[in-house]
Amino acid sequence: MSKSAKTNAVATHVMGAEELKALRGSRIRAFIFAIFALAAFAAATANSATIANLSLWVDTIGGTDALISFPVAIVWIGSGLVLGAVAAAQYRLGGKYRWRVGIAIASPLIVTALFTTLLAGTPANLTVLFTGTFNYAGPVAIGALAGIISERSGVLNIAIEGKFLLGALSGAVASSIFGIAIAGPIAGAVIGALVGLLLAILGLRYKVDQIVAGTVINLGAAGITTFIYLRVLQIHSEFNSPVSILPVKIPVLGDLPIVGNLLFTLSPYSYLALILVAFFTYMLFRTRWGLRLRASGEMPAAAGTVGVDVMKLRYRAMILAGALAGLAGSYLALSGTGGFGMGISAGRGFIALAALIFGAWKPWNALGAALIFGFAEAASTLLSILGVGLPPQVLLAVPYVMTIIVVAGLIGRVRGPASAGRPYEQG
Amino acid sequence: MSLRLELREITKQFPGVLANDRVSIQVERGKVLGLLGENGAGKSTLMNILSGIYKPDSGTIIVDGEQRVFRDPAEAIEAGIGMVHQHFMLVPVFDVVESVALGAETATGPLGTFDRAAARAKIVELSKRYGLSVDPDAKIESLPVGVRQRVEILKALYRKSDVLVLDEPSAVLTPQETEELFGIIRGLASAGTSVIFITHKLHEVLEVADTITVLRRGKVVGSVKPKEADPEQLAEMMVGREVQLTVDRGQAKVGSVTLSLKGVTVLNQAGEVAVANVDLQIRAGEIVAIAGVQGNGQTELVEAVTGLRPVDSGEMTLNGESLVGASPRKISDAGVAHIPEDRSRDGMVKGMTVAENLMLNSYHRKPFSSGVTLNRSAIEAAAEKIVKDFDVRTPSIHTDIASLSGGNQQKVIVGREFSRTVSLVVAAQPTRGLDVGSIEYIHKRLVEQRDAGAAVLIVSTELDEVLALGDRIAVMFEGQIVGVLDAKDATRERVGLLMGGAAV
Repeated sequence: MSKSAKTNAVATHVMGAEELKALRGSRIRAFIFAIFALAAFAAATANSATIANLSLWVDTIGGTDALISFPVAIVWIGSGLVLGAVAAAQYRLGGKYRWRVGIAIASPLIVTALFTTLLAGTPANLTVLFTGTFNYAGPVAIGALAGIISERSGVLNIAIEGKFLLGALSGAVASSIFGIAIAGPIAGAVIGALVGLLLAILGLRYKVDQIVAGTVINLGAAGITTFIYLRVLQIHSEFNSPVSILPVKIPVLGDLPIVGNLLFTLSPYSYLALILVAFFTYMLFRTRWGLRLRASGEMPAAAGTVGVDVMKLRYRAMILAGALAGLAGSYLALSGTGGFGMGISAGRGFIALAALIFGAWKPWNALGAALIFGFAEAASTLLSILGVGLPPQVLLAVPYVMTIIVVAGLIGRVRGPASAGRPYEQG
Repeated sequence: MSLRLELREITKQFPGVLANDRVSIQVERGKVLGLLGENGAGKSTLMNILSGIYKPDSGTIIVDGEQRVFRDPAEAIEAGIGMVHQHFMLVPVFDVVESVALGAETATGPLGTFDRAAARAKIVELSKRYGLSVDPDAKIESLPVGVRQRVEILKALYRKSDVLVLDEPSAVLTPQETEELFGIIRGLASAGTSVIFITHKLHEVLEVADTITVLRRGKVVGSVKPKEADPEQLAEMMVGREVQLTVDRGQAKVGSVTLSLKGVTVLNQAGEVAVANVDLQIRAGEIVAIAGVQGNGQTELVEAVTGLRPVDSGEMTLNGESLVGASPRKISDAGVAHIPEDRSRDGMVKGMTVAENLMLNSYHRKPFSSGVTLNRSAIEAAAEKIVKDFDVRTPSIHTDIASLSGGNQQKVIVGREFSRTVSLVVAAQPTRGLDVGSIEYIHKRLVEQRDAGAAVLIVSTELDEVLALGDRIAVMFEGQIVGVLDAKDATRERVGLLMGGAAV
């Protein structure tokens, strides 16, 4: 509101409490960063003898490895130096310092240091770690995109988990019946769209609280898929023998050393995620459709009074979002893990929701969040396979902890669409 | 003299209310029609019908001699009708270009890419032609309300509207901004645009309208030319009986200082300074009225005085005792009556009965409570008495307060707050949205409190109210009190200039 602009003006001519507060805040931040820097140096001392033994596949799967060995302490010292510099700059420059940039530089170093320390010298393969990250992030990002589209139109969407499950089941069955790979994702999208329509009818026509409607769909999807799995798929396994959609090597680029394995031999879902995120970023922020969609989510009355049919727009957005979520869900059953299994989504729909909030309802940011969450998942898997370090569940909690931090406003404020979740009365 | 638009015998029934009863109005090309009526007279319903938001039960809309039916807002827009709503229909996080173009975008390419450059150029051209200066790339939420209104008008012009409907457009403006708006309206009219100007303020229609049509309880009472009309006559048409336009009150008999604020600073919800270093003293037996455009810290100041919002720094005393950090109940028990700005949010509990609402500030005390249980008979007896004393029109004290009219709801609140001896009255927007009868009644009660020796603090964005009631008038701008005038020195112009931040 214009209020903030006004009160800022007040603050400048009376030297208000705001500036003092900002100064105090930056001092506290500087202190915290300094502590972390010291902790990093301490970790360097404690792990002075540890050598990291990482490797990357050079060419085709199973080929020769590129070995990287370095003392873990060096990475800790690097982290400590960057953190120390951030702390000093924060102290000197006060509120003006853009500490997020510093933290963005420090984070990869800290993560590497932590990871290699946990490995404690055990040889580990990074190619698996990274492809695992990308393959995990693909469907999650598409799920988050589905959430972004429906919430930007003004309808809360917590039913991504349920759509993942139904998408996985229908994908597995359709793929098994038709025997062609493409049938899986298509069936997932169709079923997802129908569920999206159901959610829209509940929330928009009958004005059921959208959180309740989403919860009902999540619970219902878990029940239905479990029932069908136990009563049909387990007995008639021919309905649960889908054609897997395995990672694809992109011609030429996939043959490059190291990066060919790392970036260009991924699940088609990951490439699709990239394309969809780029496409819908354009659609949301550069087109007439996007302008109207965002207006409906922020202030439906503003759109309605200029002749936009808010209801129709929201219905369509919900169907589109459902199709995307169902499509993403089909990945779970088709990625070569033996078809559909009970509870196969394992909370990934909620991770997608977390990615959408973490990414502040922006597609690229949500994709970034999905990658971070994917890394936590892949690292946890790798560590548990190697049998070292933390209990893997600790890493699996990362997405939720990070989302809570963001929602609580500890890292800047994120603001969702103002009218998401509120039914709109037209005329 | 060609009729641009005509509404004939429009009738619209809502559950329990006949909002429009065979209403007919006519608008000529290039003329300004002032539509005058009290809150609840059916003006907004009529305009919502005209803009395609509501469908009339019967009656016809005739545009350029041709009968039309508007099934949705798009059809009304297409017929050239542009609506500037009282509550602006602008998306706060959009910029001006996006807000204006929304719904009428030019799109190119297979994906329907929004042609921002074209829209921007058209907006710049329109704002030059009609003198509506606005930065096309500014975010709506960063614009002051006066500018937002210009954006709304641009929105209508962008759609080539030549019938512009302005619903209570001056409600959020300073008198000077209102003058500017009148200038814009005259400019538009001379360029051939017809304007329907909806208001309940008499002097505004007298100043800007070519014809005045008065609505009362859903019916057209009559149409007059401003030259042949005077305020008393219009007020009588509007209310249906003779109305006193001024508040009867004698000289204030001022006592000692009751409420004293020294260097009070209050933060708003976002943690920003909303009230900055305010000094103000109110003495027993006087009314201090705070004028100002909404959103200049009045809300936060009232919340601080009544204990609903913490005081960040400064001193605040009531009869010499500090109120800083005191709970709302403690402040209420110390003799402070509070008529809150947002009646339905802070003044009452909808879903509870009139009697229960009357007890909200005393239910915990004897004889209404005996420690654990409520004493029904004492509560009912007290409620019956207040309802009678304060002329609350309710079927019974057991009626849900939500079903009463705004005026009667406000009487319940006033009755609750004034049915005991108080030393300070804090009344924020005490007559917002009320009919003239209720306004007169509330004003009389406020003056009564003053004469009984209470200090009275009134906050109002209605300049007429401030001028009618205040023994002293303080003006708030950007969180500060920028001037305090005695009633005799307070002219509309001086107060208006202070409201806009000008030093006097």
